[in-house]
Amino acid sequence: MTNAMDREAVPEAQNPLAIDGLEFIELATSKPRALGSVLEMMGFQPVARHRSREVELYRQGSMNIVVNANPADVPRTVEPIERPVISAFALRVRDANLAYQRALELGAWEIPVRAAPMELNIPAIHGVGESLIYFVDRYDEFSIYDIDFRAIPTVNPHPPAIAGLHFFGIVQYIGPDRTDDWVAFYSQIFGFTPLPDNVRFGIMPKGLLLQSPCHKFYLQLVDPGDPAGDLLWDERLQRMGLGTPDILAAVAALEKRGVEFIASESVHSNERGAMTKPYLGSVMFELVHSDHAPQPAPKARA
Amino acid sequence: MTFDDFGMDTASLAGSLEAKLAAVRQAGFSQVMISAADIVGHPHGTAAGVRAVRDSALRVTGLEALRDFEGLTGDLHHYKLDIAKAMLTLCHQIGGRLLLVEASTSTHADTDPDLVAADLRKLAVIAIPFGIRIAFKGLSWSRTVNAFGAALEVVDRANCPNLGLGIDSFDVLASGASLDDLGIFAPEQIFLVQLSDFMWNQDRSPEEQLATAIHFRVFPGEGVHSNSLANLVTRLDKLGYYRDYSFAVYNDDYRQLPPEFVANRARSAAVWLAETVLRRGLPVPNMDRLRRSGHA
Repeated sequence: MTNAMDREAVPEAQNPLAIDGLEFIELATSKPRALGSVLEMMGFQPVARHRSREVELYRQGSMNIVVNANPADVPRTVEPIERPVISAFALRVRDANLAYQRALELGAWEIPVRAAPMELNIPAIHGVGESLIYFVDRYDEFSIYDIDFRAIPTVNPHPPAIAGLHFFGIVQYIGPDRTDDWVAFYSQIFGFTPLPDNVRFGIMPKGLLLQSPCHKFYLQLVDPGDPAGDLLWDERLQRMGLGTPDILAAVAALEKRGVEFIASESVHSNERGAMTKPYLGSVMFELVHSDHAPQPAPKARA
Repeated sequence: MTFDDFGMDTASLAGSLEAKLAAVRQAGFSQVMISAADIVGHPHGTAAGVRAVRDSALRVTGLEALRDFEGLTGDLHHYKLDIAKAMLTLCHQIGGRLLLVEASTSTHADTDPDLVAADLRKLAVIAIPFGIRIAFKGLSWSRTVNAFGAALEVVDRANCPNLGLGIDSFDVLASGASLDDLGIFAPEQIFLVQLSDFMWNQDRSPEEQLATAIHFRVFPGEGVHSNSLANLVTRLDKLGYYRDYSFAVYNDDYRQLPPEFVANRARSAAVWLAETVLRRGLPVPNMDRLRRSGHA
């Protein structure tokens, strides 16, 4: 961890890939409709479909979620499975190709290009487990969705956010004793900074927080704790965190839509955060108090 | 340290990969260091080699060896990166959590310590998603790093949590380094210790050291440095070293004898070290469990 801090002292390395926030989070599933209804319950709306693949775009406020039900032609090991998994996240960067090349120079693994004719080549590297990290530089005037996606007619392409919900971060489960490794990975390649242990958001007590170099989102590393315990899990992206300036208002609005929240002695909704029940066996949303102004909705989108 | 902390190396044995793994298991070992050539040289292909290791019920100590990686520039560097990624993929496929990297002997290698450290840091970062640790080993005939003190310096400079040291007793003994120097290590920096003995005592040229290292190593207790080896292992134990010992015995005689014969000699070496030198026959509680969970 000291190495991460040392590197932070070098100004040009603070944001080596010129990251500017999260563009989308991708979920893979073989049951896209079931996942779609969970997302709609959470306030997301389907706004566009991919031109050539079984991929849909859901949106709420500034948040984009890509649901990937595309079968075997995707050259990677995550086949869509019944239990949805977070299969990728996309980073907004100044120049996707430069960021990709720089990431490779810093020790990332490349993913083979998979664009079909007339489609954008979105460069990607390996993330945790079977997941990918994409680099997207079209998020201002144009967006990636303008080219690869077809808007669903008659729906509002920019559905508003419930209670100011916005992407807050992603929780990553890691193996025992792997915190230092992953801190090195995210600080060396991306310029994330580990936050001191007394900085806490939300209601979940465990895990190390990494702040993005653009200060717009967080990754949280959660290890199973007691290394001699039997609680071992695969390393993976486990859940997304949604920020809102008013947790209780968000919880009330979501409950009205049918979302159920965990209400146990140790985990229950309060003004700092809330946690939904797991849906479809694996999909959870953590709400975290965050005054972060939601990023402005882009102009010319699908 | 117990018997289970010691393992064999497939490069010590003759025969098919399956025969080697069976011999290692039959001699009572629970772990084995895998030489990459044994996987890719499998007559039914790499996938069959991977399956043989996976089916062996032996824990993989690590995969060996990535060579001549650091200090290169331009096309050579990018070529070696591809090689490194292929080795890491293979290591991951066989369930290995450690890749042994030997310090470069290439005449193309730049010896600038900053460049060497940056290359090793990059390699370590590349290995992180797979959960693989990089054990970097100096070689007495290397151009970049030829002693364990120098290896430690480079590893410190690179400063990545999954980058540590491989220590080979051969290099320690052949270079005549003082065992007192082991005191410079923190135990968590040492990722692997390889043990072997050899049959001569005098100082030799680097060329002869290299020839001996490749052709004439014997198991601990079989050579003329038993006392030094016992001393080395005892010191590492006192230092708090808690990871694996692997018998890095490369010997032309052993490679033309039945693997069971050789594995039984390895067994005698492990028994001698565990029960006589370290005088510990019983497993330390919870150690196996910690290992399995990847903690140790």
